[in-house]
Amino acid sequence: MSQRILVVDDEPQILRALGTMLRGAGFTVDTAATADAALSAAAAHPPAAVIMDLVLPDGSGTDVTRELRTWTDAPVIVLSAVGEEREKIAALDAGADDYVTKPFSVDELLARLRAVLRRTTADSGPIIDVGELRIDVPQRFVSRCGERIKLTPHEFDLLRVLAQNRGKLLTHRMLLREVWGPSYQAEAHYLHVYVSHLRAKIEPDPSRPRYVLTETGAGYRLVDPDES
Amino acid sequence: MRDRFWVPLAGSAAAVTLATLLVWALTSVAPTLSLGVIYVFAVLPIAVYWGVWWALAVAIASMLAFNFFFLAPVHTFALKDSANWFALIAYSVTAFVVSELAADAQRRAVDAEQREREASLLAEIAGQLLGVERVDDELGWIERRAAEVLGVPEAKIEFGPRRSSSGEAIPLEVDRRSVGTIYLPLRADPNLQVRQRFLPALAALLAVAVDRSRLEREALEAETLRRSDLVKTALLRAVSHDLRSPLTGITTAIGALRNETLVFSDGDRRELLDTIAVDADRLGRLVSDLLDLSRLEAGGAEPALEVWSLDDLVRETIEHLAEGDRVDLGGESPLVNVDAVQIQRVLANLIENALKFSPPGSHVHVHITATRSEAIVRVVDQGPGVPDTELERVFEPFYRGGRPSGAGLGLAIARGFATANGGRVWAESRPGQGATFALALPVVQVPAELPA
Repeated sequence: MSQRILVVDDEPQILRALGTMLRGAGFTVDTAATADAALSAAAAHPPAAVIMDLVLPDGSGTDVTRELRTWTDAPVIVLSAVGEEREKIAALDAGADDYVTKPFSVDELLARLRAVLRRTTADSGPIIDVGELRIDVPQRFVSRCGERIKLTPHEFDLLRVLAQNRGKLLTHRMLLREVWGPSYQAEAHYLHVYVSHLRAKIEPDPSRPRYVLTETGAGYRLVDPDES
Repeated sequence: MRDRFWVPLAGSAAAVTLATLLVWALTSVAPTLSLGVIYVFAVLPIAVYWGVWWALAVAIASMLAFNFFFLAPVHTFALKDSANWFALIAYSVTAFVVSELAADAQRRAVDAEQREREASLLAEIAGQLLGVERVDDELGWIERRAAEVLGVPEAKIEFGPRRSSSGEAIPLEVDRRSVGTIYLPLRADPNLQVRQRFLPALAALLAVAVDRSRLEREALEAETLRRSDLVKTALLRAVSHDLRSPLTGITTAIGALRNETLVFSDGDRRELLDTIAVDADRLGRLVSDLLDLSRLEAGGAEPALEVWSLDDLVRETIEHLAEGDRVDLGGESPLVNVDAVQIQRVLANLIENALKFSPPGSHVHVHITATRSEAIVRVVDQGPGVPDTELERVFEPFYRGGRPSGAGLGLAIARGFATANGGRVWAESRPGQGATFALALPVVQVPAELPA
């Protein structure tokens, strides 16, 4: 049984091309041209992942994402355009997992799609392995190649949040909220400082990070260097 | 000028004569010496009307007349009794002091009246200038009233640097800042006090008004700039969206076809190729629409006029449309003098627009009517119609009111070409009953008898 992908875009041509392409890649495809149609399609046949345009005739991809998040964790990839950066961040804050910028390459979209699908199938238990890193959440213990790395409480929480959402793009706002609490959501400079401290401790070469990657203007994500 | 001498003189003589007659009439009922006080009544009105110097003259004349006619020895200027001397001098001084007081009161009254006039003019100017947009439009009456207040025949006010050289130029200044200049005729000699009091107040008022209208103008310009900026941003977004969408369709289809790990059926492969063809076509049309629009806005769409039968142009347009079989044509066959290519573009855009908004399978009706001066093509659809408020907006570039697809350029281009050919395009609609888009063109007058 192939995985079901819901594609939402108001441009019929894009919908058709994406649908055909995804079927060729072995997915089952549902399509919707409006926010309403997307929500009812997702309810009728819960998708494994959603690919969604940010701007829809009857609403925004952000609103649809927020609505979907009330009952499903199915990953959402938003299709954004240059000039829609704010909407893109809003969608990610609302719970979207990743984005690609139009016009995107098919290979890039497929790679992102497979990455988010892999993430949802791999359940994150109390001990998370990412490449050579091992994070023991209950013990608050981190090691690389079996060697202990000492982290401050905030550095540990930052790494834990990234690891529990491994591969997923986390916005500045989300990370600040998870690690420092809701009143620190605008203090992006805290985050940059702690990320650089964290990199200094966990990255083999902190000047060329391979675990904690920066998505300029959007946020950070933790990846397994061997997978990407 | 002579009146300034003879009228007061006559008045003064009359006053002295009247007083003398009155004293003569009363000598039988009152002591003669006490009647000297009557002359005070002769001095008073003279002082009020003609000032203190005439009053002094009247006082002296009165003293002499009293002495001559009534004090012994009568009919001489000599006096018998020294008590009489005393009375005469007392009456004269009284007359003079009273006259001085009266004249002063009169001066004050005139002065107060003048101030009152100035104040009411300034108040009037202030009130009027509050409501106006351009001070220059109000200058005419301000100049007339200022001349009245200054007591000169005419006055002229100019803003900015000094230009005209006629007359006496008095700068209007507020806090050493020059507001403008007021020109008065030479030798008009306005009252110096009035001038010193009134002109600074006038200058201050005008300065406020000038500043206010300048600020308003600047605010308006800033607002216009801001709005045109907003429009440009909106246009840019619309264009970039419209260019990017077909581009995304094309790159996705090509990416899919080139990716060797993907498996496609023949049907899917054909569908991807169709996507590329349709989107490339859309891109091409969009680019030519944008070029047309910029050409129209630059005024570069010179029509090549020729005489055509309008129904032929419409029929040919319909035949070239992909969904031409959904369009009915009826009506008259007027002759029009137009650029066939441009007018067919107008017709195609109007009819395609109607088709796009009609329910699938329904028909669009095209009907031609002609009056003596105009031929009108009406394109009637069975779509949702256009709300009253949008009837004009639909012709704005990039406007698409809930339109299913398209860049929102078709109607703007249609209107542009119609106007370039001396015609008009407009929309009529009742919401829920479909829309009618009409094209009117001037008709060619056909001679009653065609030459054989």
